[in-house]
Amino acid sequence: MPPAPPPIPRCDACFKEIENDDVFCAYCGYPIKGTKVEQSAFILKQNKIDYYKAEIKKKVENRIDKGATTLFCLSGLFILAAIIGFFKLQDNPQVLAFVIPYLILGIIFLLLGEYSKKKPLMCFVSGLCLYIIAELYDISERPQASPLGIITIFIIIVFLVLGIKSAVEIEKIKKENNIS
Amino acid sequence: MLPLEDELPDKKPCIKCGTLIALDGKFCNQCGARQSAQNTNAPVNSWGLLQQAGLFFGIDIVVCALAQFVEALKTFSFFLFSDIVMAISAVLFFSLNWKESKTLLKWQNFSWQKLAAYAAIAMAMQVLVHYSVDWLNLVVYSKDDDYVQHLNGNLFGTFLVVFFTAIAPAIFEELGYRGYLLQTLLKVADKEQAVYITSFLFAIIHMSFLSLFWLIPFALFLGFVRIKENTLWYGVFFHFCFNLTACIFQLL
Repeated sequence: MPPAPPPIPRCDACFKEIENDDVFCAYCGYPIKGTKVEQSAFILKQNKIDYYKAEIKKKVENRIDKGATTLFCLSGLFILAAIIGFFKLQDNPQVLAFVIPYLILGIIFLLLGEYSKKKPLMCFVSGLCLYIIAELYDISERPQASPLGIITIFIIIVFLVLGIKSAVEIEKIKKENNIS
Repeated sequence: MLPLEDELPDKKPCIKCGTLIALDGKFCNQCGARQSAQNTNAPVNSWGLLQQAGLFFGIDIVVCALAQFVEALKTFSFFLFSDIVMAISAVLFFSLNWKESKTLLKWQNFSWQKLAAYAAIAMAMQVLVHYSVDWLNLVVYSKDDDYVQHLNGNLFGTFLVVFFTAIAPAIFEELGYRGYLLQTLLKVADKEQAVYITSFLFAIIHMSFLSLFWLIPFALFLGFVRIKENTLWYGVFFHFCFNLTACIFQLL
């Protein structure tokens, strides 16, 4: 029976494999051969960084949630418009031409909201641009705008832009840590 | 003789003390110095880049929206004007970062077979799109759409049709979207998201709900071709063949 292999030395901070003669961990920079004080100072600093990262993440995730809710609300609004339009124009031969664009918009926003957890940047940028075009089309059809309508448009755009901003931060963190 | 094989290093010197360490090591295991990678050395201003891309797309939105939604501007001269504005904006934004953009204009992996294959795919796609769009238009709008109604008849008109629907869009849309926009987004996000965003924006700028169903796959294909081949020219050629087939359908 062959003798049991010696246990692989591991870093005390990140638990990755290390070499016996390493002075510092190659993965996290933990002072393996340092004094107790140096080691606990390192752990303390690492915990602080983790804490801040978690804080930022919480803030960013909160904004992403708001963006996703905005997309879902938009989807609901467009589908509602399609349904109302369908019953209003039931007898008009052009009814499909009116209903289908709204229905497509509703479905697209629903999909964007659904995927915004996985690919936030893509969903918010697409959602914002599509919403702006839809609004421009709407304004060209009905030039008289109500103040309430303008405030709604403004709020929706602000939420989507904040969503994009947070998504950019997430992408930055991903790129820095080489997470795909 | 393969001198390169022997020179491929599996270790690199630490940037502080010079000890040979593992290539993927983030810290020196002798002195503890952080071995920062090149990309973390110079952080990109993602938000700024995104705003710049927003300006590019905003110009296109304004011009396209004016041309599409304002009844008074549905004239040939405004159509010409909007095309020129979009072409200039595409060229300007593309040349903003000329050093990087330049590499996209190279065509190192040129091959006739690939070119022919892309042309065949483009034409097949257009035939498919042509018949399905005709069918959809008849079902939904009960009308036939003719988007080159301004240019009619003679040889010069035919040339103009080919130029405005096949040559100019192929070059300028590729420069703007697969060139500038995709290149910028690649710095902000990962490959997949960059291609998806570009394709979606490219599709909605055409301002036609019915066309979304073929524009998005079309743009996705172009985006992935551009990433895979690392040159704009296959995309330009593909786009040209696609639009030229549409042109032929119009002129027949």
